[in-house]
Amino acid sequence: MIKVSTLNIVGTKRFQRTIADPVNIAILLLLAILSYLIIWPFVQLMVETLTWSDGDRRISRDAVPGKFTWFHWLQATTGPLSAKMLYEPLVNTLKTGITATILALLSGGLLAWCVVRSDMPGKRWLQPILTLPYIIPSFAIALAWETVFRSPKVGGQPGVYESLLGIAPPEWLSYGAFPISITLAIHYFPFAYLLVAGALATIDSQMEEGALISGASRLMILRRITFPVVAPAFVAALILTFGKTIGQFALPFLLGAPTQFHTVATMVYANLTLGLDSLAFVLAIILIILSLLSIWFSNRFVGKNTHRFETISGKGFRSRVVSLGGWRWPIFISVVCFAFLVGILPLILLGVQSVMLIDGFYGLENITSHFWLGRSNPQIAFGEPGVLHNQIILGATWNTLKLAFISAVIASVVGLIIAYIAVRRSHNPLARALDQIAFIPFLFPTIAFGAMYLTLFAEPVGPIPALYGTFTLLVLISVVSRLPYSVKTGVTAITQIGQELEEAAELSGASWAMRFRRIIMPLASSGVLSGMMVSFVGVMRELSLIILLITPSTRVLMTVGFGYAEEGLAQLSNALILIVAVLTIIGELILMWIGKGKMARLREKQS
Amino acid sequence: MSKIYVQNLTKKYGPVTALDNVSLEIDTGEFLVLLGPSGCGKTTLLRCLAGLEVPDEGKIVMGDSIVFSSKENIMVPPGKRNLGMVFQSYALWPHMNVRDNVKFGLEVLKTPKPVAEKRLDEVLNDVGLNHLDQRYPAELSGGQQQRVALARLLATQPPIFLMDEPLSNLDARLRMDMRVELKRFQSAAKATTVYVTHDQTEAMTMSTRVVVMKDGAIQQVSPPDQLYRQPANTFVADFVGMPRINLVELTSEKSQGNIFTNEDIQVDIGWAPDCSNIVIGARPEDILISHDNNLGTQQYEITAVLPNGPEIIVQLNRGRTNLITRVPYNSTFFEGQKVWAHFNKSALNIYSAASRSLIYQDTAKHTAAL
Repeated sequence: MIKVSTLNIVGTKRFQRTIADPVNIAILLLLAILSYLIIWPFVQLMVETLTWSDGDRRISRDAVPGKFTWFHWLQATTGPLSAKMLYEPLVNTLKTGITATILALLSGGLLAWCVVRSDMPGKRWLQPILTLPYIIPSFAIALAWETVFRSPKVGGQPGVYESLLGIAPPEWLSYGAFPISITLAIHYFPFAYLLVAGALATIDSQMEEGALISGASRLMILRRITFPVVAPAFVAALILTFGKTIGQFALPFLLGAPTQFHTVATMVYANLTLGLDSLAFVLAIILIILSLLSIWFSNRFVGKNTHRFETISGKGFRSRVVSLGGWRWPIFISVVCFAFLVGILPLILLGVQSVMLIDGFYGLENITSHFWLGRSNPQIAFGEPGVLHNQIILGATWNTLKLAFISAVIASVVGLIIAYIAVRRSHNPLARALDQIAFIPFLFPTIAFGAMYLTLFAEPVGPIPALYGTFTLLVLISVVSRLPYSVKTGVTAITQIGQELEEAAELSGASWAMRFRRIIMPLASSGVLSGMMVSFVGVMRELSLIILLITPSTRVLMTVGFGYAEEGLAQLSNALILIVAVLTIIGELILMWIGKGKMARLREKQS
Repeated sequence: MSKIYVQNLTKKYGPVTALDNVSLEIDTGEFLVLLGPSGCGKTTLLRCLAGLEVPDEGKIVMGDSIVFSSKENIMVPPGKRNLGMVFQSYALWPHMNVRDNVKFGLEVLKTPKPVAEKRLDEVLNDVGLNHLDQRYPAELSGGQQQRVALARLLATQPPIFLMDEPLSNLDARLRMDMRVELKRFQSAAKATTVYVTHDQTEAMTMSTRVVVMKDGAIQQVSPPDQLYRQPANTFVADFVGMPRINLVELTSEKSQGNIFTNEDIQVDIGWAPDCSNIVIGARPEDILISHDNNLGTQQYEITAVLPNGPEIIVQLNRGRTNLITRVPYNSTFFEGQKVWAHFNKSALNIYSAASRSLIYQDTAKHTAAL
């Protein structure tokens, strides 16, 4: 038997152990913080729409500030203004969203097939150009469209179209549903392209070869084998793209507002500028519901069908390219033209526009560097100095870089910690809850998310000061909106790190903090670094998320550019958006370079 | 002194019982092997010893400290148990070079730098890696990685070694060499070692004692030779030994106490156990065959002859009963021949058909088995 008498006890009690575990502390802390930053704002937004506010006294005599009311919801759904406030924008949102989605899917799907499965030449360099429209701000495409099709009927100088043809473009071509749908489609087709290309790459060509041996024609194979297999991914891409288009604010605002064409997203902004806050919040909630519905449908569809269509990879998997035969070069030329039209031409247009003294007149004598290098001249652009001397712009550039950098770093580190908790403590229900809460911001259309923070941080609550108008608030919302992505990157990175690596350190007696710093962080670094870069670029081109929260002291490039565009200072806004576009492209290039380095290291390891 | 006591250890994962009331005593300096098929709980037991898993019930004592006790609510974290472990995958940190990998443990212990560096040189020299100390794990061969894992274990000189199938990722030849080396380091360090494997050759060749587990419960704890000669039940008998033991279910002939039969064969086991339904366990080498009936009692047909280096494995058949036996490589037996077979009475193990556990012939043998 064991003699226990001489044993000394060095252990700690189980309860103390649970409490003292730094990971458990982190779970509770993060749960509290994220609940306050993600769930609570939504509740607040909801409450706001259901209570009378001070401002309502000028609208209704029954208003008792702070009391419950259905007034705002009734006003939006059945009031005399409801057609203009809700139903028309809703129809416009669906109309432009659906048209843009279908166009994006068709072009994205076709291009994906050409790049992944055909023997089209030049795939390597075409791919990055084809993703360009999604990398640059959506707003840039809208500005480029306006540059070409601007109509003096609405005010301002004529566009390229009128200068060349001598007649004004028809209004439907300049503003409203048509240009919004087209530009949305241009911005989102790379998104659909990437999703479909991913699905196409998983097809084992042996499936197709099997059909070929049975005597099926090439068209029949495409129709009966290829398409049904990618169909689930295709539908998921359809719904996700739609969900993204409805949250777009800047693009429909720029191409719709001049002719009073509103979508739900632009209406949120318009109502807020009119001081109809509660009504704007009702619309924001409707926008969130639309987005939730689309994601729910997408998950339902994919969830139901993926299993059925799961392709069995592994041994003998190979992908054969389909020969285009005589169509090879014609198809290549059309794809190149398309890539130039949507990827490069908009940037050239913005560049050309930014060096023209007077908008819309094309000639060498009209070229100026004023908007880039010039000092303040009261005769040009209301005395706004050129980009390089403009204090507002220089300040905004600094703010942009600062915001993007701080947010990206915080989002990545917090994302990595949440990912660690979600992967390593997956049996803990609180850890799973944390993972799910961190995903919620993905479901909020960005302008609605901005609206939430507007209500939440307008006044101090307990120890938390009123953050409205501060740079901190911009960092907060940027970090939280990036969390779903950074957690996902983190999860990928953490799952690749074997648990034993950490256990080995644990056995040496290393504390959790030391393990995280010495083992997890270095090993996850390459994945997290690229995630950080993605966040950096994402925050930099973000507009609709922060447009409602910006004050003169916290301006960033995108909002200043938006402001100039609203004022009709096309050259300056073009110059600014061009800067953002170039910065994001540089960011993407760095990402590709990081990715290549990673691949090289991987190859080195395998050999 | 680093004896390990395991008392009534139980660990459940949901409805699955990974460890079922396991008790074990491990002596200082012993090389104890945990052997069993996958899912038998051997790795769980090792991880409970390491502190990487928290058992549901029971008690673990190492040296003179309780490191786990469900009753007293004690759980000493792994780093404070003063033990080293080699993982199946080696768990080398890919972002640190060999030297840093080995140094980590010393750093955590805050060993003064000159002492740590000296110890590092010593250990790397011992495992023969001092010329590769700047390499990264990915730049090493499997055997070299194994040595780094070993060096990492040795660096802090823990009195207890835990090893989780450390050789399973090596090719057969290298495995042989590493067995010898592991054994050498273990005996030099005089560390109490618990070694998990599913490879019975490893268990037999390296251990001082083997623990055979199945479904979370210990089946037998014995020195390797006894494990082979006297398996405690039919599971152990069947699991240990290659080719497999012959297990044949027989019943006693009325009035002939020592003779047991089934419809095909008849065996004289030499003594009379209490029960009439038994299973005999005969190792292939305990069945002798010959062309004439000078020692055999019954005739069998040879159904297969499988030469295997120094021996030939011969499959015999009589009715529905099949037996396997091994004969020297220079024997002349051919498929289809009829031969006489004889069971070596003294080597036979007799199991109760009901409980599947060993029936001992006399009390002297009984105490020896414990």
